[in-house]
Amino acid sequence: MRFPSRYAARVAIESLLTEELRSFIGRSGPEVTVYVSAGAVERAADVFRGTREGLALAPGAPVPGFVLAALESDVPRVAPPEPLPKSLLVSNEWHFERPLRLGEALTAQAKVADITERLGGRFGQALYVRTEVEFRDDAGALVARSSMTLMHYDPSGASPAGEEES
Amino acid sequence: MSASPWEEGRELPPFEVAATMERVIRYCGLSWNFPPFFYDPEAARAQGMPGPLVPGPLKLGLLYAAVEHWLQGQGWVRDVRAAHRRPDLVGTKLRIVGRVARVYAEEGRPRADLELAVLDEEGHPTVRGFASVEFGAGP
Repeated sequence: MRFPSRYAARVAIESLLTEELRSFIGRSGPEVTVYVSAGAVERAADVFRGTREGLALAPGAPVPGFVLAALESDVPRVAPPEPLPKSLLVSNEWHFERPLRLGEALTAQAKVADITERLGGRFGQALYVRTEVEFRDDAGALVARSSMTLMHYDPSGASPAGEEES
Repeated sequence: MSASPWEEGRELPPFEVAATMERVIRYCGLSWNFPPFFYDPEAARAQGMPGPLVPGPLKLGLLYAAVEHWLQGQGWVRDVRAAHRRPDLVGTKLRIVGRVARVYAEEGRPRADLELAVLDEEGHPTVRGFASVEFGAGP
């Protein structure tokens, strides 16, 4: 049976999702302790609210979840190899099981949640890497999760219209 | 169970925020992440961009701040998501819009799902977003 030439060209593309890359799926970094400190909450409020007014900074008080932006910077990441030269932030997300509380210590750990490949489309051949950071309390209960999906691509295979670089 | 103060279909008032260079630099410091194309015009142009870009994760936090503003202390944010569609340039004004897509109860607590978008100065959506909120003080 003869395949149309376009299909034949498509199946000839070598997958970038190698066994080595697949082996990173589910891989976790070290656990670290992060602290919901007043300073982190204030700096996050400066960025996202543009003011510190209205912050309740008593120990144990609920604080805005956007403090995760500060906490996750202290968490070592697992970095799979990047076989494509450019990367782009596709999506990101914060999930909370309950409000964070001022002064609490959380155990945080990053992991590679998934790696998938896409062929064709606006960016040509691309790899999507989803990473997560989980924040747990003393009892091990999930308190919050931050996740992001980066797309890795080769601009020589992409159309001219660009999106945001990560 | 107290009822949701929001009804389905409600349009939330636009939340406007300036994507200033100061805000972007503060964000880079907060996240300890300094790709030069976020704050250096030459580095951005070298990457083929018209100017420094607003970091995507900063826009997630701004979505969170908009939802928090709309809640007026009546609840807390359980989830917020951003799907990044187009870049936003530093120095522009962003408009965050939201609509109550669904009101429901889970585990005996009133909740609502919101559809969100970040609009650029021409009104084009640059981010499609989602949030889930719970009314009350939280567990």
